[in-house]
Amino acid sequence: MNNEIKKYYLFSPSLRIAHWIWALAISVLFITGIYIGNPFFIGNVGYSATFGDLHALTMNYIRLLHFSFGYILLAALILRFSIIPFRKADRLIIPKFWTKAYWENAFDTLKNYLFITKSHRPYIRNPLARTAYFGLFLLLIFEVITGFAMYGRSNPGGFWDKLFGWIIPALGGEYQVHRWHHIVAWLIILFVVIHVYMVIREDILEKDGEVSSMVNGNKFFEHTPADITDV
Amino acid sequence: MIDGKETFWEALKRHGVSRREFLKFSAVITGLMGLPPAMIPKIVEAMETKPRVPVIWVHGLECTCCSESFIRSATPLASDVLLTMISLEYDDTLSAAAGEALEKHKDDIMKKYHGEYILAVEGNPPLGDDGMYCVVGGKPFLEGLKKAAEGAKAVIAWGSCASWGCVQAAKPNPTTAVPIHKVITDKPIIKIPGCPPIPEVMTGTIMYTVLFGKLPPLDSQGRPKMFYGNRIHDTCYRRPFFNEGMYVEQFDDEGAKKGWCLYKMGCRGPTTYNSCGNLRWYNGLSYPIQSGHGCIGCSADGFWDNGNFYSREQNIPFIGTESNADKVGAVAVGAAAAGAIAHGVISKIRSGKKED
Repeated sequence: MNNEIKKYYLFSPSLRIAHWIWALAISVLFITGIYIGNPFFIGNVGYSATFGDLHALTMNYIRLLHFSFGYILLAALILRFSIIPFRKADRLIIPKFWTKAYWENAFDTLKNYLFITKSHRPYIRNPLARTAYFGLFLLLIFEVITGFAMYGRSNPGGFWDKLFGWIIPALGGEYQVHRWHHIVAWLIILFVVIHVYMVIREDILEKDGEVSSMVNGNKFFEHTPADITDV
Repeated sequence: MIDGKETFWEALKRHGVSRREFLKFSAVITGLMGLPPAMIPKIVEAMETKPRVPVIWVHGLECTCCSESFIRSATPLASDVLLTMISLEYDDTLSAAAGEALEKHKDDIMKKYHGEYILAVEGNPPLGDDGMYCVVGGKPFLEGLKKAAEGAKAVIAWGSCASWGCVQAAKPNPTTAVPIHKVITDKPIIKIPGCPPIPEVMTGTIMYTVLFGKLPPLDSQGRPKMFYGNRIHDTCYRRPFFNEGMYVEQFDDEGAKKGWCLYKMGCRGPTTYNSCGNLRWYNGLSYPIQSGHGCIGCSADGFWDNGNFYSREQNIPFIGTESNADKVGAVAVGAAAAGAIAHGVISKIRSGKKED
């Protein structure tokens, strides 16, 4: 290997912690959420309904998990957004639609992904990925707002209801909120599948340490990345 | 018709009610309105001093199920409410008089008690073709509603029609029926949704309004908090079975016989706000879930457009009638995974060629 490969420290500990909390929280929230939407196994047999919780995996317990991880997801989102002002490399989730470079680099990457060109320029994070991450945050925020709005309606007029209750009439009633919460959950899982594939592909083809960068924060480039000014 | 300046107590006395019965009645309605016993003296005082409030009750596009429900109120009896608690000056369904005489009386009352009467609206106005889909007394209901609302102190929207639009406003809504708050924008409106609303909720709300001379505490949607403060799900006696994951899978299975939760049968209790779970119907006899049928969400906004009443699986509108989020999601995620593998293989092959 040649010696010109340079190490770039990109991802702060807060960012990496937030990432892995989301990975866990999204997994738990998706599985428990699917069960809440359609309880496909019977929770409790043979015990009084009041005491079933002590003996079986019940809807009550699964809902508790769902709500708990909802709070955890929200906490990780707050952590992630609170570091944005302080460090340039933590702002890579913002797609710069207004710059010429964004569109040029987006087409450069897209052509490679569509097999029109054999490679794309090296990027710290290419514009397509930035856009996808930005979209993911919008989806997560939507899930948090709709989720806590529904949660808050158990106590109308309470904290969560006052904070996010407005979404219920905006979406045309609570039943519609359930539906959109459900649909967007699937969109997030769609993102997860593509995300996992794309980072593994990046790691294998570009050999830039993409996968391990979310553990140790470092990526490696032979040539200077096109978007180096962003970090 | 009776002079509207008579107090409640005077009206009761005129009907031969004793002082003792009057006090008992005051205690009962205090409880019904969700108020603590400490409020009983205030209710008694209000009944003794407040003049009875004139009420004009109009009917638009509707099925009269709200009136049918109202006249079945047991605590207090609907007749007590109609004959002593309020001074019902106009109701084209209940009144003995009809035709021009009745319409003239309505106009007189609207002038005489301008700014003092309560307008109760059952049904809603269609806006299409200048409101010609609903004509009352030879004029579009829309016109009469606006005129009656102008001098009203407060407006009560009876039922889901007046509150949300209900069946006539369901897609595709051929008559452009709209809930009354789209037409009456400058008056306080109390929404009493339900198809129909619970009788005691109707009488309780109207009594609160006339006794205190103000609106009951309303939630963000304009519904009285004491009756619409909780989900049916949160007050349902079958809730423990929901919590324990014990569900009816079919209407004739063991779970149905044992009275388990109807969540998987499409019960709308989790998204519907009403007092069915605590006040119940027919003087507390039963309510839909107790009779073994899921809630259809009749007091929720747009309940006719929320899909099959017997399924929680919600169709995705832009794909088709047999699709739901889980099916579409599983196919999409499977396709994405397959696409990712194929894309990865091609990427690797092409990348290998590059290095040659």
